[in-house]
Amino acid sequence: MDFSLHLVAAFDLTTLPQQLVNGLLNGAIYALIALGYTMVYGVLKLINFAHGEVFMLGAYGALFVSWYLGYRPDGASPPASYLTLILMLLGSMLVCTVAAFFIERFAYRPMRSQPRIASLITAIGLSLLLQYSAQIFLLNGTPQTIQAGKLSPFVGNVTLNLRGPDQAKLDEAEKLKPSMTAAAAAFKARLPLEKGEFDLSPEGKKLQEEMRVAERKYNEAVNAGTAHAVKIAIPKGQVVLFVTTIFLMAMLTYLVMFTKQGRAMRAVSHDFNAASLMGINIDNVIVFTFLLGSALAGAGAMMYCTFIPGTKIDAFTGLTPGVKAFTAAVLGGIGNIPGAVLGGLVMGVAEYVVVWAGYDSYRDAIAFVILIIVLLFHPGGLLGSSKVEKV
Amino acid sequence: MFWGVRFSSIVLAVLGCFAIQMLAKGGAPYFQTLIVLAGVYVTLAVSLNLINGITGQFSIGHAAFYMIGAYSSGVLTNNYFKSAHMPELAWLVLMMIAGACFAAIAGFVVGLPSLRLKGDYLAIVTMGFGEIVIIIVRNQKALGESYGMTVGTKIPSIFLTSLLAVTCIALCRNLIKNVHGLSFLAVREDEVASSAMGVNVTRVKVTAFVIGSALAGAAGAVYGHSLGFFSPTNFTMDISFVILTMVVLGGSGSITGATVAAIVLFYIPEWLRDLKIIPMSGFIGAIIATIAVVAIVKRTMDGHQARPTKTAIILGSIVGGIALTIALRFALKGLPGLEGTIDGNKLRSVVLAAVLVILMLLRPQGVFAHHEFSWNWLKKLFGKKPAVVA
Repeated sequence: MDFSLHLVAAFDLTTLPQQLVNGLLNGAIYALIALGYTMVYGVLKLINFAHGEVFMLGAYGALFVSWYLGYRPDGASPPASYLTLILMLLGSMLVCTVAAFFIERFAYRPMRSQPRIASLITAIGLSLLLQYSAQIFLLNGTPQTIQAGKLSPFVGNVTLNLRGPDQAKLDEAEKLKPSMTAAAAAFKARLPLEKGEFDLSPEGKKLQEEMRVAERKYNEAVNAGTAHAVKIAIPKGQVVLFVTTIFLMAMLTYLVMFTKQGRAMRAVSHDFNAASLMGINIDNVIVFTFLLGSALAGAGAMMYCTFIPGTKIDAFTGLTPGVKAFTAAVLGGIGNIPGAVLGGLVMGVAEYVVVWAGYDSYRDAIAFVILIIVLLFHPGGLLGSSKVEKV
Repeated sequence: MFWGVRFSSIVLAVLGCFAIQMLAKGGAPYFQTLIVLAGVYVTLAVSLNLINGITGQFSIGHAAFYMIGAYSSGVLTNNYFKSAHMPELAWLVLMMIAGACFAAIAGFVVGLPSLRLKGDYLAIVTMGFGEIVIIIVRNQKALGESYGMTVGTKIPSIFLTSLLAVTCIALCRNLIKNVHGLSFLAVREDEVASSAMGVNVTRVKVTAFVIGSALAGAAGAVYGHSLGFFSPTNFTMDISFVILTMVVLGGSGSITGATVAAIVLFYIPEWLRDLKIIPMSGFIGAIIATIAVVAIVKRTMDGHQARPTKTAIILGSIVGGIALTIALRFALKGLPGLEGTIDGNKLRSVVLAAVLVILMLLRPQGVFAHHEFSWNWLKKLFGKKPAVVA
């Protein structure tokens, strides 16, 4: 009983909206990477463990383009423009596409006729190979940051006021203000008579104490007033990410459902051999899908590292987003494009709800807990087709 | 005759484990630790082989059960060893059993619901379970959080470790030779057909999962007691991947393969640790040479025209590879940007990952494929070969 009371007491409803928004925006990153995972899985039926590492290479691509354009950590940088951002985006996507082309051609294509587990091990091996090679060969593995403060036009927050502060309490606080200023002035007047600010006589100490008490009272009153307010700070960069994710989801859905190429992709996904008998060039479809998925990873990497200030780029940048995005893709129903986005958003929100409830050390576990529960009751994922293995 | 063979093989196995301990006793402490760890990895690989290779259930969270075994036995030793007044070795056996029991319970709890899932879905659920266990341990004060846990009484025993590995191998080998084990193989080949033949598919899957986890738990207990200290980083997803790699590289379903691959894959990184400094040009040269040789060998093996014999391919690729490496080493030496050197210790993960990818490309079914070691096989290798080999 005591335990449950403690649980309820920890919930502070005024911060919940902020955390939900944080969760949605964070989930958009998972969703963006999950789109690539889900595209590749849909056609190749292979968990592309190297996707996170393609993401990492894309981040490096964006970093090198930004360096080439003059945004080095030390030097003076030219004024930022949208052109710079677009060049970085293209550079990142290009790097990812080239890497994906080689991965597909030399690692995955020879494994296509082999048992699934062998190709999976190849994917794991490739992921490790890229990680550790990057650690040695790319800048000696020293973490780097893109000069996001100078580059990104989307800095700062948009603040939404859901509920204003309590005016009556603020007015009360305002009444306390004169006594606080008076105490501060008294102490200030006393200060020249003392030996130093940290070496006060008893008289001076008393005045200092009075000043502090008055200050604390005022601050407490102001806090009591503002605690009533519910504000949401939305980082602009993450909004761009969110919008891009939704836009890409719509574009990809259109591509897969309503174009000729999309029909070919669905056919290959449905039945490899039958599709090739119907005159579909399987190799082309697979390469197209794979490159598209990797280019998405590149776009995601560039935005992730530029619009979220303080993101470090090193050889293991892709690891955590990769695993989480993969979980998101499975959660939404792997192979399903809206499912990947839904899975990502659900995961992001769940993580921040856990943080809000005060269990932030369990933040990484909640994704898997939700995944396991969903898979047990609906094995196809949230939006996937449900095919139960009969036991 | 039957019981005679059986009894003598048990005696031989025990004596063999004893001999390993005697041989290792003279070595350096580092060497002794390596022997213990090799035994642990053999146990882990063979037990995962039972789940993955023999029953065909794709689990990539084996390190979780290993972790449960290590932590549960560590807690028991810290709390009860002093009051138990038992000889150390007997206590270690008890702890192995305890670790196995805890891991088996966990395996049952995870396996029963999640074995309804197929293939990749089962894989991700087991992976998620591994992550959840790590995060829970990281948040438990009693288990030492992220700092790790110290086992109060260190009991390193090469004899018991080898015995565990041998027992594990014998258990799996005997299992697939008798009628219960045949149902495991049947489930791997075709679930629907085997259930039509009267195999209780659920029971077989869960049994395999529980036995595999129990063996991993015992290995965890041995690991914890021989090193005396472990932390959650010793049981991450990477370790699960390494164990899985051992199984697949050795040949999924082959106990011999899992054993050999476990020993080799465990020793390669340790051996690479000693390599100090490698010239950059030599390294780049070796990479290019490897890729070229692999491409050529792959082409030759896939070709439909007159194929050279296997020995010729292997010898040719080794000689060609070395020659090409040396040639490139000198050719690249003058180029700018390639004068530097690389720390060999950093390279070991890269080399291991590269070996993994290359071996998978050349021989996807694993080195031993589904073959097992047997005396007939040895005779064939050294004696007269049968005339007709298609």
